[in-house]
Amino acid sequence: MTEKAPYIQVIDLDFEYPDGTQALKDINLEIVKGEFIALIGQNGSGKTTLSKCLNGLYKPTAGDIIVDGLNTKKSSIVQMVKRVGYVFQNPDHQLFNSNCWDEIAYGPRNIQLSDEEVKERVEEAIQVVGLPKIYHSEHPFFLSKGLRQRVAIASILALRPHVIIVDEPTTGQDMKQSLEIMDFLQDLNDKHGHTIIIITHDMPIVGLYARRVIAMAQARIMADGPTREVFTQAEVLEKTFLAPPQITQLAQADPKLGFDPGTLTVDEMLAQFMKMN
Amino acid sequence: MSNVIEIEDYSWKYVNTRTPAIEGINLTVEEGSFVGIIGPNGAGKTTLAYSMDGLIPGQYNGIKKGTVEVFGTEVEDYAKGELQQLVGVVFSDPEAQFTAMTVEDELVFGMENIGLSVPEIRDRLEWVTELTELSHLLMKPPYEISGGQKQRVALAAVLAMRPKILILDEPTSMLDPVSRGRIFEVLAKLKAEENNTIIVIEHSLENLIPLADQMVLMADGSILLQDETQAFFQQSKLLLDKGLYPPGAMHFFHELKMKNYYQGKYPLTVTEGIDLLREIKGF
Repeated sequence: MTEKAPYIQVIDLDFEYPDGTQALKDINLEIVKGEFIALIGQNGSGKTTLSKCLNGLYKPTAGDIIVDGLNTKKSSIVQMVKRVGYVFQNPDHQLFNSNCWDEIAYGPRNIQLSDEEVKERVEEAIQVVGLPKIYHSEHPFFLSKGLRQRVAIASILALRPHVIIVDEPTTGQDMKQSLEIMDFLQDLNDKHGHTIIIITHDMPIVGLYARRVIAMAQARIMADGPTREVFTQAEVLEKTFLAPPQITQLAQADPKLGFDPGTLTVDEMLAQFMKMN
Repeated sequence: MSNVIEIEDYSWKYVNTRTPAIEGINLTVEEGSFVGIIGPNGAGKTTLAYSMDGLIPGQYNGIKKGTVEVFGTEVEDYAKGELQQLVGVVFSDPEAQFTAMTVEDELVFGMENIGLSVPEIRDRLEWVTELTELSHLLMKPPYEISGGQKQRVALAAVLAMRPKILILDEPTSMLDPVSRGRIFEVLAKLKAEENNTIIVIEHSLENLIPLADQMVLMADGSILLQDETQAFFQQSKLLLDKGLYPPGAMHFFHELKMKNYYQGKYPLTVTEGIDLLREIKGF
């Protein structure tokens, strides 16, 4: 197998807000195409700031970020939004048009595509997120949060970025809705080849969907690796003030019980139990 | 113990909708108890919460049937503002309740409004900022702090009013697991030390379950199940059918039961789950 070249490279990144708050320190990271990553950490650990650096909204105070061969410091917003899309935690913070179609068309229009191309992009995005036709001319605020989130994601997809970062996709959703949104992101990953990064506090969701976990604390990356490995590093997790999902805790509780400490889901736990009995 | 809330045959229909948001609700809440309300989005949980502090029917147009009594008095019969001193609501969207330019003003606003003396305000401010660990944020504008911090400010502002009944609508949705645990520690303390009656609407069951005395399941505007927490969660199948996933340990034992590997009660916490596993394995 050939080594895949990284799509995103973060090299010795520091970021400081104008008021002097050090939000990111010594960040080094490589992301290859097709990954499904969960960015986890306490509130204020730097997750959202890092995302906004990855899509060029914030420029590094020190160090560099290279996306698809482009240095974010020297690239325009237009170049960046075509590569890395960021979906806000609260869809209401990004939706402002009076109907869904225009909302999704806003980005493509803004990068000065022709009317024909705009239409093509919007129709494509609508199809991918599966927004029923009756909602196309509806005001976004009359939609449920799940549907508003889809419109928010569609408006990002219409710019055809390769990487899609979704900030807390499941907040305020019940479990059924959460699984629907996550299945949709998984489709974008599997079927459409997008690299997905989710920022989340929901550890069972991380266990179910993410193949790689980046855990942050106090502006630094404390752990970065396959989900199974990161969730077995109890000491590191403690430093990030996080705990693995309950089912993983149950599997890890007593080695004598014979469960794999890297168990991530109820189904995995069940399969092991049945094998033993 | 006496009931602080008694709801009988209660229905509420918002003026612009065809069907009632909630219908045929019967619910009693004992003084000092901790009640968890769960259910899919759109089940009517928030409508029920608003009904218990008079926001409904006070601030909304609609049609009410049945009775909602708080401390023995129908909610509409309270003088303006009186019920809100007895019942405090923490909204799921903290920004919806912010009005002031600093966190401190935000916390003081309500207390000034009900005419508390300056020393009393100072005492309560100190108590509440310590309890919710907000001292370092007092001078910040509420819109400059993080989502998690906003939720703590929203809780503190309501606690400062020292309501007897506290209703929290998804109080930890924006919080990381540690901060979430901290909010529930605050609630545990209030329950133990202040004898507050606490009603929490939550999607995240892990922290709720160990504290709740009673659980209520709502779906499609009705109460489907109401019971003591241990008994409530023995109905895991109903919960899963409604798209509500129990915490991992409980979910695992539910699956074991479905496959006839296990007959007993479901564990409420990881610790209980570990003990049960050891029992099954014979050590």
